[in-house]
Amino acid sequence: MKLLIVDDSALIRSRVARILSDPRLNNIQLLGMARNGKEALMLCMQHMPELVTMDITMPEMDGIECTEKMIEIFPDCNILVISALSDKATALKALKKGARGFLYKPFSDEDLIAAFLELISS
Amino acid sequence: MKGINEKDIYTFVDAVSAFFFQVTEEKVEIKTAYLLEGDVPSATFDLTSYITLSGDFSGRIYFSAPRSMLTHLLLLMGEQIRDNDRLLDTAGEIANTISGNARRHFGETMEISVPTTQATDPDWLKTVVSPQSYVILVKWKQYRASVVVDIQRTA
Repeated sequence: MKLLIVDDSALIRSRVARILSDPRLNNIQLLGMARNGKEALMLCMQHMPELVTMDITMPEMDGIECTEKMIEIFPDCNILVISALSDKATALKALKKGARGFLYKPFSDEDLIAAFLELISS
Repeated sequence: MKGINEKDIYTFVDAVSAFFFQVTEEKVEIKTAYLLEGDVPSATFDLTSYITLSGDFSGRIYFSAPRSMLTHLLLLMGEQIRDNDRLLDTAGEIANTISGNARRHFGETMEISVPTTQATDPDWLKTVVSPQSYVILVKWKQYRASVVVDIQRTA
C-alpha cells in the first residue's frame, strides 16, 4: 500500500516514516510527505495514495477539511488521523468526514503499528 | 485568569506528565503549579513554543525548554536529525500535544493554533504573559522545562 504522511511537524513525519521499517509493515511503501492539507491534496492527485496519516492542526488547510476533500476525490483512501486533539467531538468529526481511524498524540511506536495493522486488515 | 480554576490547571500537569512518560518511559517531577507573580525562578529556557487559543477561550499556552533537554528527547526517539530546526519543531510539537490533550477536559470550543516557536532570553516569558499566569515546572533527569498557562474563558 502506498502511504502519504501529512503533518506540519518534521518530527512526526520523520517518526512515522521510520516506523515503516518495522517488518510487520513491509507491505506499506512511503509515497511522500506533506506539511499541510494543500500540499497533501496536490500529492494525492499526482500519486493516489491508498493510506494516509493525517494531522488535524496544520497551517494553510487543516486535516478535517483535507480529509473531506481527499475522500471526495478518492473514496477508498484509508485515512488515519493522528492528532493531539483528544476530545471526542474532534475524533467523531474526522470519522464523519471519512477518516477510518484516529490515533491520539503522544503515541508509541507500537500504538502506530497497531493502528496501521488494524486499518490494513479492515 | 478569568474562569480558570485549579482543576483546569491540573489538566495541563497531567498532559505534560503523560507526554514525558510516553517518550521517556520515566515519570517527570512536576513542581506544584504556582502563579508567576512575585519572586519566582525563571520559567524561560533556550527555546519557547506557544499555542494561541480562540473559540470560548483566549490567551496562550507556552512550553519552554533548554536545547540540551530537547536534544536528549530526540535521541530517545531515535531521531538522526537534531539540528536547530528540529529542536524548534520538537518544542512546537510538545506545546501542540499538551494543548491538544487539554481539549479532553475543556472541549472542542477551545480552539488551538499551530505552534509558534522561537529562541528566547531568560526573562522573556515574564515580559509577555500576565502576572496571573500559572507556571508548571518540569524536571526530567538533570533538565528543567516549563509550561506556562495564560488563558481566560471568554464565553
